[in-house]
Amino acid sequence: MSDHNIDNHHEEHEHHKDSFLSKYVFSMDHKMIARQFLITGIIMGTIGMLMSMIFRLQLAYPDMTFPFLEGIIGHWGKDGKLDPNFYLALITIHGTIMVFYVLTAGLSGTFSNLLIPLQVGARDMASPFMNMLSYWFFFASSCVLLFSLFVDGGPASAGWTVYPPLSALPKAIPGSGTGMTLWLVAMILFIASALLGGINYIATILNMRTKGMKMTRLPLTIWAFLVTAILGLLSFPVLLGGSLLLVFDRSFGTSFYLSEIVAEFAGGIERTGGSPILFQHLFWFLGHPEVYIILLPALGITSEVIATNARKPIFGYRAMIGSILAIGVLSFIVWGHHMFITGMNPFLGSVFMLGTLIIAVPSAVKTFNYLATLWQGNLKLTPAMMFAIGLVSFFISGGLTGIYLGNAALDINLHDTYFVVAHFHLVMGSAAIFGMMAGIYHWYPKLFGRMMNETAGHIHFWLTIISAYCVFFPMHFLGLAGVPRRYYANTAYDQFDVFVDMNQFITIAALLGGLAQLIFLVNFFYNIFKGKRSPQNPWDSNTLEWTAPVEHFHGNWIGEIPHVYRWAYDYSKPGAEQDFIPQNVPDEGQTDCMEEAVGLPAIGNHAASAEA
Amino acid sequence: MKIRNLFLKITFLVTVLFSFNQSLSAQTVEEGKTLFNANCTACHAIKDKVVGPALKDVDKRRKEAWLIKWIKNSQAMVKSGDPEAIQVYKENNESIMTSFESLTDTQIKSILAYVKAESEAPAAVPQTAGTSPAAGNNAAANNNQETNINWMLMIIGILLIVIISQVFKILSKIGEIQGKPVVNWNKTNGLLMMAFLIIGLIATVWEFVVHGPLTVFEAGPASEHGVEYDNMFMITLVLTGIVFVITQVLLFWYGFKYKADGKRKALYYPDNHKIELLWTIIPAIVLTVLVVRGLITWTHMTSHNDPKARKIELFAYQFGWNARYAGTDNKLGAHNFRQVGVMNALGIDTNDVNAYDDVVTNELHLEVNQPVDLAFRAKDVIHSALLPHFRVQMNVVPGLPTKFSFTPTVTTAEMRTKMNKPGFDYILLCNKICGGAHYRMKMKVVIDTKEEYQKWINSQNVLVANKVKNKTVALK
Repeated sequence: MSDHNIDNHHEEHEHHKDSFLSKYVFSMDHKMIARQFLITGIIMGTIGMLMSMIFRLQLAYPDMTFPFLEGIIGHWGKDGKLDPNFYLALITIHGTIMVFYVLTAGLSGTFSNLLIPLQVGARDMASPFMNMLSYWFFFASSCVLLFSLFVDGGPASAGWTVYPPLSALPKAIPGSGTGMTLWLVAMILFIASALLGGINYIATILNMRTKGMKMTRLPLTIWAFLVTAILGLLSFPVLLGGSLLLVFDRSFGTSFYLSEIVAEFAGGIERTGGSPILFQHLFWFLGHPEVYIILLPALGITSEVIATNARKPIFGYRAMIGSILAIGVLSFIVWGHHMFITGMNPFLGSVFMLGTLIIAVPSAVKTFNYLATLWQGNLKLTPAMMFAIGLVSFFISGGLTGIYLGNAALDINLHDTYFVVAHFHLVMGSAAIFGMMAGIYHWYPKLFGRMMNETAGHIHFWLTIISAYCVFFPMHFLGLAGVPRRYYANTAYDQFDVFVDMNQFITIAALLGGLAQLIFLVNFFYNIFKGKRSPQNPWDSNTLEWTAPVEHFHGNWIGEIPHVYRWAYDYSKPGAEQDFIPQNVPDEGQTDCMEEAVGLPAIGNHAASAEA
Repeated sequence: MKIRNLFLKITFLVTVLFSFNQSLSAQTVEEGKTLFNANCTACHAIKDKVVGPALKDVDKRRKEAWLIKWIKNSQAMVKSGDPEAIQVYKENNESIMTSFESLTDTQIKSILAYVKAESEAPAAVPQTAGTSPAAGNNAAANNNQETNINWMLMIIGILLIVIISQVFKILSKIGEIQGKPVVNWNKTNGLLMMAFLIIGLIATVWEFVVHGPLTVFEAGPASEHGVEYDNMFMITLVLTGIVFVITQVLLFWYGFKYKADGKRKALYYPDNHKIELLWTIIPAIVLTVLVVRGLITWTHMTSHNDPKARKIELFAYQFGWNARYAGTDNKLGAHNFRQVGVMNALGIDTNDVNAYDDVVTNELHLEVNQPVDLAFRAKDVIHSALLPHFRVQMNVVPGLPTKFSFTPTVTTAEMRTKMNKPGFDYILLCNKICGGAHYRMKMKVVIDTKEEYQKWINSQNVLVANKVKNKTVALK
């Protein structure tokens, strides 16, 4: 699409007045949709976090009663005692919310929407209408999931991985009734949302870059969002298929995932001939790329935040792109490492193990590049920068335990223990949340035109990183002692009695971490309305979004879209007056910015450059 | 009919053993306890709802005759339209309670006596004793204490928020008056990062010293392949430990050292191919070592193949385990999921000659230094058998046979001495979410010496005792 067309499009919008409904609710402006994704994500995240508080209380004090529980969760907390079935429901919904609703939609949805058009220099997404649909599918999905908390039998309780037969047969667990059906409906709506968003992100990045924005000049955020969207587009449909087959098994008496189940247990029809492991393959074919769908945007945000605040170019830009691509490709051939002990052929296990451990190489490259970017920098330790540094710390801690779990042999004793819980809460949970927080603190001025309180941000950071490490680090030792995850209580095993103190410590740390999030919530919502007005480029950043006016309007730039003459990381360049040179500042030594065009073609812009 | 009776004997072995003691009324509660633990704990607890309801004060809620009838065949009662029965059935998610038609009235009465005794006992019941010293003995005091803690937590939380928000306000006021922020966050964060690094590293060491000994690695492996497993683990631990310390130190130290002070300018240093090549190749080499070593260990662990291995089947169901020993012929009898039922809990094909001498038990006894082939089978949903002390785990999938072969090397008695814990027992845990009582689905594992094992296995009943002899003759 040429600039000319976009300009026309933009003018059209200036002519008609936005009603409240079209501006705040059914908006097609990517910036408003980003806000909608973020706020929905934060609300879902708060709910998910509160759920974790309830089950942490149960794990620390299995013998105590908490009368207030009955007030919150009704008959599931009769006499202040959490029902074991509802405990499983809580961990299931906590996992689902955090993985999909917060760290996929809330993180990638928010920042892909906000940053892709602004950083590539486009007036909006390729299809603003699809973008709006993407949000509303997500919203509908969130509503269905929350609604499932109130149905008879409770919400889905088979773990967020919903392995059949447990999830397929209502007789197996109360949550596998209506709750599970709603979970599947929510997931199907969610996948629709992710696909609509993903197609849009890819189309915008590939087709709508402004003049001079070659693929090799894209900020690393955009590279991360691009690979994320591709991963989502290739893997989510597989889960959609998998979920539909599960719907068939649950509602129409088929046996895709069921084998040797007697009629009495399976709703009156004998089920045989299927394979429960098939579902695991389909699930993890999404599930593993999903880890990187969560993590890559966080890493992209971190790259941008670290470079800006270190006042230094990101070290090894091309190696960073290379490692994002390598991680993207490898993430598709390692899903089997979640299934080492399902009895799979040992040779197959070896293949998956090899692939898994290779991922450590690009991950190590990324880590070293971050360290090299910090080296000899001039670090402005803003809250966003602190969260980005926190992400690197978690990425190291959690990434290293991946080397244990990716090793098929070691996985035998560690699989499904608290070691796994510690691993993924560090590398996927905490790291991605920290990336999201870094993004929120960094782009809050762009999102809302106001500044967040810095002091509150720093307190939030320190309380969160301390509590996160206090919660998840000791869990490694629980796992090494053989304590399984998803246990309602450890009271049935004398040998786990030694961990009573540790569990109480973890719970107290988790409660503190929860309180710290209150500071964030107040800081976030208060400053939307009352915060200090933001200057146009508060962090002296190079990327294009800071050349757009602070006030939002549909179309992003008044007049012409800025042209790009350089990469995004000209920080502290020798000879320059300031320690940053925005991408739209012409490079005097370079007459034609298109001459050295490499990589993927910027469609449409080539014609223009040929004329020049 | 004979076969049917024999199955009853096996399924409720303990019941049968204790039926000789019926006349001793003093032992009623004690007998009830044994029966309760053998038959009921998979689904019931005294004061907690598990799959079935909590049984505390059940004697006050229902008549004894009703309870006996219910325990023997609850479905018959539901179908006959007993309103109380229908209510209980619906309240518990319409899950069908196993019928215990083999239990005599006296036995059920002794179970009820035990439940009654436990209901009236002080709050700390045996299974939860010791988990929370603060729980106290008196239920009322207990409740008070908990309410107090709840209130205290809430008050502390609210106070914290109020204090923090006030501190913000005061600081920003002072900042406004002075014209510059009171706290220089760049400096503060730098110092905090150093403090975090040092305290964090000390805490990591402390964790290893204090909690390290609580892991299963402290006592060493109790199986042959476990030695190789532990080596692999230690190599990984050392390598990742080194990387962990170096990278975390660099990260936080750089954060401290290169914080902006307003005087310096950052170094423009976009890349260096030599260094990048170096730190791609070094991790690649380290990982190659780990991969090769890991593959060797994995292959060794998964390719045990000993024709003399003893064949045992582990059968998992919601929520419990059974072990089936192949008997003297070392051949497990065939099974069919369609035959799984009240009378034939494991669905064993009783017409198969190989099944005659099979032995079904509730505990897993293994002979030390004797290889075993564990075959796994599930009745309903996926379970997973985790034996952490042996470095053994395998999923138990309905309709999909799985197996694991290994050789235990340390007897229970030896392990008790080694760990200096006289009460220690090996365990098998369910490690795949399988329902409400997942957290208590376990089986005791005993590693015997050769003599102990022989003694134990001989004390168990074979499935079809009267045919075993004939079969042996036929085979010869």
